[in-house]
Amino acid sequence: MHNFTYHAANSVADAAAKVADGEDAVLMAGGMTLLPTLKQRLAQPSDIIDLAGVAGLSGIRVEGGTVTVGAMTTHDTVANSSEVAAAIPALAAVAGHIGDPQVRNRGTIGGSIANNDPAADYPAALVGLGATVCTNRREIAAGDFFTSMFETALDEGEIVTSVRFPAPETAAYMKFPNPASRYAIVGVFVARTTGGSVRVAVTGAAGCVYRETAMETALEGDFSPAALDGMTASADDLNEDIHASAEYRAHLVGVMARRAVAACG
Amino acid sequence: MAKHHISTTINGEPVEFLCNTEQTMLDVLRDELHLTGTKEGCATGDCGACSITVDGRLVCACLMLGVEAEGHAVETIEGMADGDKLHPLQQKFLEYAALQCGICTPGFLIASKALLEHNPDPTEEEARYWLAGNLCRCTGYDKIIRAVLDTAADMRGAS
Amino acid sequence: MTGPALRGHMHHSYRHDSAAKHVTGRAAYADDIVEPAGMLHAYLGLSTVAHADILELDLTEVRNAPGVVGVLTAADIPGENDISPTGAGDDPVFADRTVSFHGQPIFAVIAGTRAEARHAARLARVAYEPRQAVIGTEDAVETVSEPLTLARGNVEAALAAAPRRLQGTLRVGGQDHFYLEGHIAFALPGEDDEVRVVSSTQHPSEVQHIVAHVLEIPSSAVTVNVRRMGGAFGGKESQSNLFAAVAALAARKFGQAVKLRPDRDDDMTATGKRHDFRVDYDVGFDDKGHILAVDSVLTARCGFSVDLSSAVSDRALFHADNAYFFPAVRLRSRPMRTNTVSNTAFRGFGAPQGVMAAERIIEEVAYCTGMSPLDVRKANFYGGPGRDMTPYHQPVEDNILVRLVAEIEERADYESRCRAVLDFNARGGVLRRGLALTPVKFGVSFTATWMNQAGALVHVYRDGSIHLNHGGTEMGQGLFIKVASVVADCFQVDLDCVRITATSTGKVPNTSATAASTGSDLNGMAAFEASEEIKRRLVAFAAEHWRVEPDRVTFEAGRVRIGNRDIAFAELVEAAYLARVQLSATGFYRTPEIHWDRAAGRGKPFYYFAYSAGVTEVEVDTLTGEYRVLRVDILHDAGRSLNPAIDRGQVEGGFIQGMGWVTTEELWWDDEGRLRTHAPSTYKIPLASDCPPVFNVHLADWSENAKPTIGRSKAIGEPPLLLCASVVEALSMAVASTAGYRSCPRLDAPATPERLLLAIERLKREGDG
Repeated sequence: MHNFTYHAANSVADAAAKVADGEDAVLMAGGMTLLPTLKQRLAQPSDIIDLAGVAGLSGIRVEGGTVTVGAMTTHDTVANSSEVAAAIPALAAVAGHIGDPQVRNRGTIGGSIANNDPAADYPAALVGLGATVCTNRREIAAGDFFTSMFETALDEGEIVTSVRFPAPETAAYMKFPNPASRYAIVGVFVARTTGGSVRVAVTGAAGCVYRETAMETALEGDFSPAALDGMTASADDLNEDIHASAEYRAHLVGVMARRAVAACG
Repeated sequence: MAKHHISTTINGEPVEFLCNTEQTMLDVLRDELHLTGTKEGCATGDCGACSITVDGRLVCACLMLGVEAEGHAVETIEGMADGDKLHPLQQKFLEYAALQCGICTPGFLIASKALLEHNPDPTEEEARYWLAGNLCRCTGYDKIIRAVLDTAADMRGAS
Repeated sequence: MTGPALRGHMHHSYRHDSAAKHVTGRAAYADDIVEPAGMLHAYLGLSTVAHADILELDLTEVRNAPGVVGVLTAADIPGENDISPTGAGDDPVFADRTVSFHGQPIFAVIAGTRAEARHAARLARVAYEPRQAVIGTEDAVETVSEPLTLARGNVEAALAAAPRRLQGTLRVGGQDHFYLEGHIAFALPGEDDEVRVVSSTQHPSEVQHIVAHVLEIPSSAVTVNVRRMGGAFGGKESQSNLFAAVAALAARKFGQAVKLRPDRDDDMTATGKRHDFRVDYDVGFDDKGHILAVDSVLTARCGFSVDLSSAVSDRALFHADNAYFFPAVRLRSRPMRTNTVSNTAFRGFGAPQGVMAAERIIEEVAYCTGMSPLDVRKANFYGGPGRDMTPYHQPVEDNILVRLVAEIEERADYESRCRAVLDFNARGGVLRRGLALTPVKFGVSFTATWMNQAGALVHVYRDGSIHLNHGGTEMGQGLFIKVASVVADCFQVDLDCVRITATSTGKVPNTSATAASTGSDLNGMAAFEASEEIKRRLVAFAAEHWRVEPDRVTFEAGRVRIGNRDIAFAELVEAAYLARVQLSATGFYRTPEIHWDRAAGRGKPFYYFAYSAGVTEVEVDTLTGEYRVLRVDILHDAGRSLNPAIDRGQVEGGFIQGMGWVTTEELWWDDEGRLRTHAPSTYKIPLASDCPPVFNVHLADWSENAKPTIGRSKAIGEPPLLLCASVVEALSMAVASTAGYRSCPRLDAPATPERLLLAIERLKREGDG
């Protein structure tokens, strides 16, 4: 790593001001990706603004049919929250399968989504559930938030403060993890709202989380694994790398989607 | 750049140290405080050899800055035994021969202790998945898992 | 055997000598040793291309970086720029003029802190003129050493005459050692030209020799110390040379202590691994599954230099029969040179690749004849005269596999579980199961005959305490406690009386690597000889001093009985000291009987064989290729085990390491020759959650080495790893079930989920077509 200036922010406004002041400042929200990035010198920011001490950024609130998760809430907290488990069990399951206990104890939902790793789990949950990302400036629909690999709709100095999830009628997430990193080689989040609309969000397979709209249409007609029989993703736009071929990923999208529907019960 | 002055608690004792922002908690423990029981296996948070707890939560010391320790309570392998009296997990690791080269052992013990504090009655599968953040290249894990489960049973019996 | 009061016998399950330190974090590995004041830190600058001429090496920015004290390049080497373990002259410390693989060291930078050195190392500007790079063996044309042929009988005639014949190809991948403690060395300059080196190495004598000739000083000026390693597995046999040589060069040049510890990525990129192999086989057999002839070519990716590849590819040939008699056989090695890191020793040293080839052949014969693989195995085991000759013309005289296999079938309930698996698969679900039993026969001895020697040094002090030193190194395998128990047993004293000390070239010279599973065979025997020598002197003294016959002087449980007198061991020692009896001795052992004529392909390269048998059951998800290992049963032959608990640990750990090799551990070089799997985030060794929940490991307690080894024990380090063939075959069975077991799935290793799925789809297509 290189030497940088460290700031422990005490409020969102303080953090925003410090980001604006810094020559090349970055926010730290757990540091599970940031620190390895710094170690490899893939980034050398002048200032790091740590959000760990900002009051009010962590915690879970369930009101009516909505679960609001503070940006600095750790994966472990979400995974073990009885309130989340009651309202959106699939969300707790997503959090509980991120990384290992050491990562889940420090990694946060805000850090994860702001990083938008194409193989991260949370983006699939946000898009699949139709969540809303709340920042210090505005609210952004999940579908608009994840723009491309490691890119989001966040502006300079904009800070995620929480994520609001509407509870679905049913939802499930199925992941085929990379055995080494436990990121998703393919992860599929399926959710059906009480109104009967269905979302199928896929992570790991392509450069950014996306929706399998043909599958959604099929499931809206018949919400059963059989409705997806014979359906796979097109391998054309999928990732091909040292972990899996595009064809394998395309096949896995179909299998994981059917299994997620089956798990919805 | 001036060093940061950090006040923390390590293994129950108040400790103050100076560090640069670029030093991880692992660097601080090993290089500044000479607590070398916490090991570096990968330095990228993937092997668990540097497992410590911070305010009772299991973390990798290599993925935490030294400056982040301000005001927090850190536990390392050096604080696990009570003087000469080994923690039950340490004792069971000895009895089960749950170690070979020993360099992953401190991390496994810290992670196992965190497991039993979090879940005093883990199933075998829960123990295996909890410890999936810790790599061991020598033992094949079986004796480690048996030692942890047996300790859990003993500790439940004792309490 | 004496009473329980004494803790000091061979064949007992004593704890690892450092166990109490391991669990408290007090065991000091090289990086934990308190650094001397002024310690400098070195870091390596690595090549970023696979094969090129170096047009210009501009280190200006490196030198000017904060904290930098200086740099080292090939021009700074006073002696030979070579760290080849065999003196081949093809393995430079620093590439000079030409780089031969991506990740090859070109220079080192020395700075006040490791962070400064690591940072500065990235600032070099190197201008390269690219050359054609050979990454895989398919493009390789040059061998790194003379190929070996093992042959017996007329293989071509036998193949032609065989009622059935088939050909095939097996590919097995390489493997990174992933020792949890990476490479590390530090060097301290001493008096005159002397240098002291602490190295994480399995081969201190070689490190000493390499440092001496790189620095152009006599070996007597170099002392290498090793107390313990955090794992090694063969990866610290020759690969430690680089780090020790650079640390020593820097210590010499800058007159300060210098440490070199690469980070994990650079360790994985710059150091050698297990060889990946391609095996092309041609096999003739009959309808009853009897193998009549085998003609195999074993092609190994050796990397840019020979390193230990000649011996590794030889050992692959020595094990390409595994446990089976081939009436006519020809085995040929092709150790190919490539522009990749130089592959090296790794637990098994070529033997696992050879065994995988033998077991593939068994599987092929089974699928072709419709027999069960186990029946094919039994039909081909080495037998008595006429069926006992190996391809290298050494008869197999100590075969215990028939009994071992019969017992593991019983213990693992093989037959009924096999039926249950067939029934399970017959239901036709998405999940399929597989069960396989594979044997191991492993030849024990270095095939380089001269390496089968060891020395030990034992001192008995006046208070009766004993100082033990030998040439073996401790990497977690429990060698030190085993050898200590040999010494304690010899003197009949408590283990606590025996002080285990760090391996040092200053105490025991010219040692061999702690490798080839020979650690306790060689060093145990050397320490036994040293102890016996002192004991003989003590007996002679006591007999004379107390006027009894020597056979009335006996050692038991910390006491010595001299005629009717009974005194403490320490009391005898003190009396002997006052009578001017020498209480220090060296011991030396060389393995008898062995010889090897490589050119002729004949001899007795192995003193004896160690055997094992394992049963693995797996479950495969045929829609994704994912799988789980459900249960493993092993019955292993450790002879009369020196320490059953330690040996069972070796069996468990070795098996799981082998399982990792054939399942998830995949090394991936891209077309540019860059290793893309260079960290635990991309390279996957087994986790606790991957290991079989039912894992029954037993030692064959009735076994005893037919040869007079130490305590009639057998080598333990490598043989259990070879049982991983059972994992591949079990997966193969599950895959084959999707197409009615009609054809051999020919699974390559590592058998990743994607490969399994491809095999399932291929079988389906073949079945349809």
